[in-house]
Amino acid sequence: MSVVRERTTPRALTRPPRRPPGPHRRPTMSGAWPYLLVAPAVLGMLYLLVYPLARAVLISFQDFGLRQLILGDAHFTGFDNYTTLLSDPRFWTVVRRTFLFMAVNVALIMVLSTLVALMVERLGRFGRTAVLSALVLTWAMPVVAATTVFQWLFHSEFGIVNHALTGLGFSSFDGYPWLAHGPAAFTILVALVVWQSVPFAAITLYSALTTVPAELYEAARIDGASGPRIFRSVTLPIVRPIFMLVLSLEVIWTFKAFVQIWVMTRGGPGDATTILPVYAVQTALAGQRYDLGAAASMVTVLLMSGVLVAYFRQMFRQENEL
Amino acid sequence: MKLRLLAGLSALVAVAGLSACSSSDSGDGGSGDGGRTRIDVWLMRDSVSAAFQKDFEKGFEAAHPDIDVRIQIQEWDGIGGKVTAALASNDAPDVIETGNTQVAQFAQSGGLQDLTDKVDDLGGKDWLKGLAEPGAYEGKQYGIPYYAANRVVVYRTDLFEKAGIDATAIKTRDQWIAATRKLNKGKQQGIYLPGQNWYTLSGFVWDEGGDLATETGGRWKGALDTPEALRAMAFYEKLQALGKGPKDSDEAQPPQAEVMAKGQVAQIVSVPGGATVVAQNNPELKGKLGFFPIPGKTAGTPGAVFTGGSDLVIPAVSQHHDAAYAFVKELTGDAWQRKLAVAMSYVPNRTTLADAVAKDPGASAMAVGAAVGHATPNTPGWAAVEAKNPIKDYMTSVLAGGDPAREAAKASDAITSAMTSGS
Amino acid sequence: MTSRAALRRLPLNAAATVTVALCLFPVYWMVATAFKPSRDIQSENPQLLPRSWTLDHFRRAIDADGFGLFWRNSVLVTLGAVALALLVALGASFAVARMRWRGRRQFMLMVFVAQMAPWESLIIPVYIISRDTGMLDRLPTLTLVYFMMTLPFTIVVLRGFIATIPAELEESAQVDGCTRLGAFRHVAFPLLAPGLMATSLFGYITAWNEFAYANFLIIKEQDHRTLPVWLSSFHNTFGTDWGATMAASTLFALPALAVFLLLQRHVTSGFAAGAVKG
Repeated sequence: MSVVRERTTPRALTRPPRRPPGPHRRPTMSGAWPYLLVAPAVLGMLYLLVYPLARAVLISFQDFGLRQLILGDAHFTGFDNYTTLLSDPRFWTVVRRTFLFMAVNVALIMVLSTLVALMVERLGRFGRTAVLSALVLTWAMPVVAATTVFQWLFHSEFGIVNHALTGLGFSSFDGYPWLAHGPAAFTILVALVVWQSVPFAAITLYSALTTVPAELYEAARIDGASGPRIFRSVTLPIVRPIFMLVLSLEVIWTFKAFVQIWVMTRGGPGDATTILPVYAVQTALAGQRYDLGAAASMVTVLLMSGVLVAYFRQMFRQENEL
Repeated sequence: MKLRLLAGLSALVAVAGLSACSSSDSGDGGSGDGGRTRIDVWLMRDSVSAAFQKDFEKGFEAAHPDIDVRIQIQEWDGIGGKVTAALASNDAPDVIETGNTQVAQFAQSGGLQDLTDKVDDLGGKDWLKGLAEPGAYEGKQYGIPYYAANRVVVYRTDLFEKAGIDATAIKTRDQWIAATRKLNKGKQQGIYLPGQNWYTLSGFVWDEGGDLATETGGRWKGALDTPEALRAMAFYEKLQALGKGPKDSDEAQPPQAEVMAKGQVAQIVSVPGGATVVAQNNPELKGKLGFFPIPGKTAGTPGAVFTGGSDLVIPAVSQHHDAAYAFVKELTGDAWQRKLAVAMSYVPNRTTLADAVAKDPGASAMAVGAAVGHATPNTPGWAAVEAKNPIKDYMTSVLAGGDPAREAAKASDAITSAMTSGS
Repeated sequence: MTSRAALRRLPLNAAATVTVALCLFPVYWMVATAFKPSRDIQSENPQLLPRSWTLDHFRRAIDADGFGLFWRNSVLVTLGAVALALLVALGASFAVARMRWRGRRQFMLMVFVAQMAPWESLIIPVYIISRDTGMLDRLPTLTLVYFMMTLPFTIVVLRGFIATIPAELEESAQVDGCTRLGAFRHVAFPLLAPGLMATSLFGYITAWNEFAYANFLIIKEQDHRTLPVWLSSFHNTFGTDWGATMAASTLFALPALAVFLLLQRHVTSGFAAGAVKG
């Protein structure tokens, strides 16, 4: 029992003494092997990602519209695009809104998906399959179809939500135009994004939970630990890396949420649901200013990295530990 | 083990698929078999019927045996990006149909062939203004008028009869409102006018003598806050209230023809083709649908309408300019224009051909409006306005009880800034 | 005893039911719409259960030009991208999680930053590059783009899963005479099933739904269109044929469920294998 515990609970106890012998025990696998194994990934990323990204950076420093795309005679304009962008008061409102959107979504997604994952783990075989299948179906529903359905549910004249609310006696909702009111439209989009994101987070967290060996729980239970206590000292340490990973991925994804907003509101009413990627595409479409759009995307990436710096630090520390 | 097998299999399938694809690319050069020139033509969905397309291809290839024409039907969704991609590629299609208001921005980018010297050859002096003007940019003609369509009132003949209303007698706005009010009772809606039908509002604005945006000294400015435009919005509001059109959506969401097909709607504002869709969705309404032009302020002048329609353009990178031009000339020429107008209920591209659709009630109602057709501001910057469309937001907030003057000022500012940043 | 146990499980089961209901309601609405006659799709009195059922929309979706062809295109592109991403990622994540080498941290950082790639803005550079290398209008281009969209994520998640598998398991197998890679294959690989499931599903869904690149990079060769692009053919000037769109979307989501159910078996068997050997 205690042996099992030692093996998997906090690295702080077991890992440090083992670290020095580590490299000595695996001398054969160093050398060229790791480089060969990552080579395809690195080459792929260099050509398919870094190269286009570099071209995008280039575009953001040029005067690049439809004409330049067709005729290819773009000029360098230095930081002009960035100046235009950063001096647009609308841009800063959009930045603030993006952070709000991200924070609300990520908080809801993480709480809900953790609860769902814990629930799934405790369910019987049938219940588990049912919930997991429901999650997968949700996840697999084409984004456009999902967005359209949400649009219908909240439609002013034909939506079942208004119908139900009116039926329940809230007659002020008769014909209430949800998507014409900024805060209401924002809320509906949050609901949609959370609904679409929880399946991935929950399934991944659940998969992580299943890698916790059952003996650990038994051991803890025999030791008389309470439910929350078990969660904190057994489940959490093992699941934490994956949890952090999901958290940071959700930060990235909600920061980049685009299709849902574009299909449902195009950033409206007014600017009420315009977040950075929507702003970037609006800018790129309006008069085909690909240069401004690229600049907006670069700023978005920088801001996102800013949010995730804490996570990168932690990741580096972990890499050191391993 | 099984999993590995699965992965291996799928990789195999993928590789097989990839190689199959690259081999099928070989016939891509553009010239077909036997020395015939193959041209690719993009027409939009619903721009021609399948039967017309077949007829035309046959007729065209008989007249031009050296040209092998391949018509592809494009979807409206994402078409802006698609045409952009085509114009910038090395191997573009040879003829493309684009919306009349989109020609300017493609012309500005240098992606289109200048057809100014062909205007006379194509009979350009009789072209509909609503198609020819947006097809020109800085004095040069890039877009060749293809067909036009504008909005009319589609109404239920049986409901009008029951209410004792003679649709042909509706000539003024007041008469229209009175008739609609009479029809709007119980479950029946006098008119289904969604809150964001901004083309219809534009017509009312033009009726009042206003415009969506005005130019002074090269600078465009939104003009929804002028007294004329405000009067137009007030009329729109009055009309919209005579039915249950949702305040927060446009005519496509839900498709208004489907709403009318449910049987409770007496009128919609639509292009005549909408009636076909209504009848398709509810065969009982077949033969019970009539058309009249949108009434104007006074009996003498019909209501102004937005001239929608398409132009044909030839991309600069097309490798077969002559064959492409032969195609354009044929499709926009008298013979095929007459057939197209009849087959699709369109307004033909030339005023001299108006008689072709005299027998078609929808098209002839349309022709009345087409005579006073207007276009959206002809500047590349206008595309930026439509990309976001503050007009729709404006309409919804006024209909939902907002202060028209304040909302109009806000919307005009949004239009101004969109047009400035977009050009 | 049993009734008390059942009572104790009641909140849990209730929560599960609520979750399933919340997840499935919009999905149900999509499926129900696919079976409703057009006139009932957006009506003033929305019906939870369609009043009358019709298969028209499915018929229209399947009869529409090229359904089979575009289906095949999508399957090829998607499977190709997912298989490629899994293969490349497995090697990379093994190297990162199990080996020590110079540049490992930099590599992981790069992978992570790659997650943030602004794909909406990369479409123009990707277009230019494909144009200049003659890769426009070809399905392999899409396969490569989707491969790159899913690769960073696949590496990150697989690395996480490999890291949670105790290295001792492989070491003991090595003691039994397996090579390092052999040990990984026989011992760790089965335990990786959940990770592989999650990542391949992600890749599948991303690639299967992608519209912008498929619309922009496939220009003249209409036969190379994928399903999401084809879906838009139900939009016309008079609005959208929502019935057919929803029917097609339903047919669209089914394979994802099938893939999941298929892989779920491997998850359980993977665990069984892990338990026996561990």
